[in-house]
Amino acid sequence: MMGATYTTASSVEDAVAAMAAGARPVAGGTDLVVGARQGKKPLPQALVGIHKIPGLDGIGESDGGLVLGALVTHSALVSHPIVRGRFTGLADASAIVGSHATRANGTIGGNLMNASPAMDTGAPLLCMGATVELAGPGGRRTIGLDELWAGPGQLSASADELLVSVNIPAPSPGTGSAYVRLQYRRQMEIAVVGAAAVVTLGGGAVMDARIAITALAPTIHRVPDAEAALVGGPPDEARVDAAAAAAAAAARPIGDVRASVEYRRAMAVVMARRAIMTAVARASGQDMAIPASDSTYGS
Amino acid sequence: MTIAEKPFIRPDGKEKVTGVGRYTADMNLTGQLYAKFRYSDHPHARIVRIDTSRAKAVPGVLAVLTHEDVPDVLYGGMVQDRRLFAKEKVRWEGDVIAGIAARTAAIAEEAAALIEVEYEVLDPLPDFAANMDAGASLVHEDWETYGADDSLDRSGNTLGHSSIVKGDADSAMAGADVVVKSRFVADASQGAPIEPRAILAQWHGDRVTVWSSTQVPFAARSGVAHTLDMPESHVRVVVPLLGGGFGSKCDFHFEAHVAALAKAAKRPVKLVFSRHEEFVAPDHRREGMVIELETGANRDGTLVSRRGTLRLDKGAYCGEGGFFAQMAAMHACGPYKIQNISVDSYLNYSTNQPSSSIRAPTAPQTCWAVEQHMDQVAEAIGMDPAELRRRTLIAEGDEGPAGQIFDPIGIKETLEAALDMIGYGKELPDDEAIGVACGWWPSFGVPSGAYVKLNGDGTGTIITGAMESGTGAVMGLPLLAAEVLGMSPEDFSITYQDTDAGPWDMGSSGSQTTFNNGRAVIEAAKEVREKLLDMAADELEAHRDDLELVGGAVQVKGSPGTSVTIADLAGSGEPILGKGSGDVPEAPEVEASACVGRLGMESFLAPQLITHAARVKLDRSTGVVRVLEFAAAHDSGVIINRIGADGQVYGGVMMGIGQALSEMTMFDQDGRQRNPGLLDYKLQTVSDAPKIDIRWIEVDTPNAGPKGSKGVGEPPSVPTSGAIGNAIAKLVGRHVDRLPMTPERVWETMHTEGE
Amino acid sequence: MKYEIILTVNGVAYPVEVDAHASLLHTVRDQVGLTGSKEGCDDSECGACMMLIDGRPVNSCSYLACQADGAEIITVEGLAPGDDLTPLQSAFLAEGGVQCGFCTPGMLISATALLAANPEPTPDEIRVGLSGNLCRCTGYDGIVRAVSKVARG
Repeated sequence: MMGATYTTASSVEDAVAAMAAGARPVAGGTDLVVGARQGKKPLPQALVGIHKIPGLDGIGESDGGLVLGALVTHSALVSHPIVRGRFTGLADASAIVGSHATRANGTIGGNLMNASPAMDTGAPLLCMGATVELAGPGGRRTIGLDELWAGPGQLSASADELLVSVNIPAPSPGTGSAYVRLQYRRQMEIAVVGAAAVVTLGGGAVMDARIAITALAPTIHRVPDAEAALVGGPPDEARVDAAAAAAAAAARPIGDVRASVEYRRAMAVVMARRAIMTAVARASGQDMAIPASDSTYGS
Repeated sequence: MTIAEKPFIRPDGKEKVTGVGRYTADMNLTGQLYAKFRYSDHPHARIVRIDTSRAKAVPGVLAVLTHEDVPDVLYGGMVQDRRLFAKEKVRWEGDVIAGIAARTAAIAEEAAALIEVEYEVLDPLPDFAANMDAGASLVHEDWETYGADDSLDRSGNTLGHSSIVKGDADSAMAGADVVVKSRFVADASQGAPIEPRAILAQWHGDRVTVWSSTQVPFAARSGVAHTLDMPESHVRVVVPLLGGGFGSKCDFHFEAHVAALAKAAKRPVKLVFSRHEEFVAPDHRREGMVIELETGANRDGTLVSRRGTLRLDKGAYCGEGGFFAQMAAMHACGPYKIQNISVDSYLNYSTNQPSSSIRAPTAPQTCWAVEQHMDQVAEAIGMDPAELRRRTLIAEGDEGPAGQIFDPIGIKETLEAALDMIGYGKELPDDEAIGVACGWWPSFGVPSGAYVKLNGDGTGTIITGAMESGTGAVMGLPLLAAEVLGMSPEDFSITYQDTDAGPWDMGSSGSQTTFNNGRAVIEAAKEVREKLLDMAADELEAHRDDLELVGGAVQVKGSPGTSVTIADLAGSGEPILGKGSGDVPEAPEVEASACVGRLGMESFLAPQLITHAARVKLDRSTGVVRVLEFAAAHDSGVIINRIGADGQVYGGVMMGIGQALSEMTMFDQDGRQRNPGLLDYKLQTVSDAPKIDIRWIEVDTPNAGPKGSKGVGEPPSVPTSGAIGNAIAKLVGRHVDRLPMTPERVWETMHTEGE
Repeated sequence: MKYEIILTVNGVAYPVEVDAHASLLHTVRDQVGLTGSKEGCDDSECGACMMLIDGRPVNSCSYLACQADGAEIITVEGLAPGDDLTPLQSAFLAEGGVQCGFCTPGMLISATALLAANPEPTPDEIRVGLSGNLCRCTGYDGIVRAVSKVARG
């Protein structure tokens, strides 16, 4: 604890310079500080507050896609009409992160850079083909989310790279998305098993599908076998079942206080099926509740 | 409008909603140091050597204490089996080896880690059921030398054995139309108050004041005096506002450790627990149980025989939970007419965290098992479960498990009320079902005292030893005094939670504050009333029998013009004081010579009766259960403070739902807690709370508390998990035999072949 | 290393000196001297420490004091400007939303933030808006009723 330092960055360049000197960025504190309090990882000796950097908290449209500043909060995402309308799976996820206070402070940048296999926003963004823009001492680069995560809490980005924005390409017409997780309580949960699906329908058939699983492997990842099983025909029961089974087959779950390996595996099928069904329903224009996981009384 | 229906704002309300109220952790004293403990490194080990020299050398450390630095005294409730600091052995992961007082908490923590302890590691003994087997290693090798209550039937790792024996259960069983056998296992859970405990101690010469977040200040005072070998007059325990307890803050805990540190350091010392410590270190949590039941019934519903074997996890030490075996045995019988009974209940040591009273100790788990068992009996004889209960619940004049004859009680009325509120029998979607469960809990009659004094302006002060843990029981005392004195409740202040001020009280435990201290306050107020009548009779030159107390004055009956205000009488300068305790109601005498381990609970004084009904929804794919609607019908006698009583039901039901579905302390194979935090020990959130309907069956109860009241606080947790379990079983087709009934366990039950 | 920052709590500016790792909760309790915000878990699971930072409900146990430099912080002590209680505080008492009171400061902060953002919340929105605050005493019933009552006006 002795000698810990803190600076406030007023620009991306400031932050990157501090990070190059060894500081870790902190915004909402909902992962970094909470993790330290839970004894997972001590707080870094050097911290740089990035919460005051101007211009990083916007949600913008670009060619039908979205650009999310790193400091966009979960509550901003879930209340944004375009996110709800066309990037619904992301709204599903942001709506159930932690508690209302976590959502008011936790940022999309922090969530993604935490590289937790249980993060909620990861799977839908991965399926949406999101890329992240990283700023480092040598300039900026853009990489796909699938390249970002190297393991639980591990990034391929270097320690002096700051996530500046998340870019989500425009979905094709006829696309719907969903994120669903297993929840023991209706709020204040962490994903034990989760799944996301982005489905594009055309002429009654699945033209394209992206399916990813959460908290079932060292990193969140897409399951090509599941996607292939869904594409090429109508989203009927056989196809959905095959896709869900494939998603579960790709799971490499652990057993811990939250669930056994067997239960996680079984729930992987259920969550994948629900995510696919909800995405299909949304793709065909049905209005499905957000979040797709039940979150309040009566549901 | 009855007294219970008047809007009443609790006197401590304003300080609580404005944030100025002080809880123990909010208090600080000049020069104060911070305490940390060094806990055991193993759940079970012999201590070979303790070296504190490196810890003592840390700059900023002012005291390091081990067993060598305090009197060698054993303490505990019914069995004295524990020392403040572990000496020969550690018996669970939370055993305290040393205490440190330092200038900052960080320094104290650093020093704690520097204490070197050499152990001879022993095999942990976490299996409390197996620990009673012949040849099992002993948690306490010296158990026979311990001081203990003679009524306990002790043997090796069994701290207490109690039986309930009525008639001849074996031959009756053989003659029954059907016999149903079941086995249920309940896991440990926690009281988990939102306030982690805190203690602050300061010495004044040979006397010490301890501010503590305890539910039982007088027991804490006795504990300090006993373990530090000093008179009770030299120990003052003060409880600032208490942030909940639910039983977990009953008993003497860490007050003496902190007092001893403050004495050694010659400075005030403050201890504040982290949430992790609040899970791991207190010798208090709800006991795990293995419950085996067998019932013989006839096709008309007659319960001819009940056999049962219960094994309870006491953990490492007795604490105040020595009575658990008998309490559990009574709940294994339940509020039913059963012709023959043979129940044996064993309270066993283990090297797990000690269990002790948590809101209705032993009852929710036992009731969960018994009530599911009752539904199994109903199924076996082809009768609706509500009808079976209707035919077998006790009523006035019936005989209890150990021969007690019941006064008027309203459990049958609670059954009908709960069925009515929930709409029992209504059409439901195929993923929903309604479950019903009944239960009971005794009232505890114990001595208690209070003073009432009047101030010069006609207001009053109640001085009580009773504890306000949040329930509102102490906050409601002015209602009782005001009624006796014709004053308004707002006229009273309350001095409470200070052992130097109020008379001895059992504390906030056993749902008995209103029952006993309410009686004491009424008695004290009556003494004041007598004094006022005497003074007014002189003043008004009237006969005292013609006087009444109304609206803050004493007046001639029916003649408001001829009166003198209480302010005038009290302002004369003559002290107007009353003290009271009242006669303690006693449980009915029983002839129960066939029962062993009799601790006085074989007869239930003024029993509180409950029926709960739950409508739940099951997600068949995941096993996730949501409680959608809940009906709670209670006979707690006459309700004195409606908003307070309702609050106990809402809170107790939610705690019960947590115990039913999500709350579980998981131990690893060595007995270490695996989930000591609020992320993975899951309390129910506001979004999980169902609609809860409440109905009070106000039976006029003889031999009860003030105005015919019984207890209120603990019963709402008793049948909750049983009702939910019965609803789940209707949807799953089998009973879930593990508590809590987590999604994974429900799912497993659905995917396991039945017998 | 120590940092001199200014915490503006309930409209009053407090210059304080803190470590980089100091939490906002500890700084407000120990240095500013306002103990209404409680420490119930220290890892954002109970909500007893909640404060408003520029109007947002924040678990102050998990927020760095340094990050709050210059922000507008409201604690439970700052909800009622004078001696009179706010409608929410009064409703909590009248509806049985307060028992032990340890969760109450955080609950009131969440409820205040909720009603500021959404003056007419649905029952579900009330529950979601209070979901980060655990209460062990009340079963939440009186709390939800109190917030509904104030929302209805």
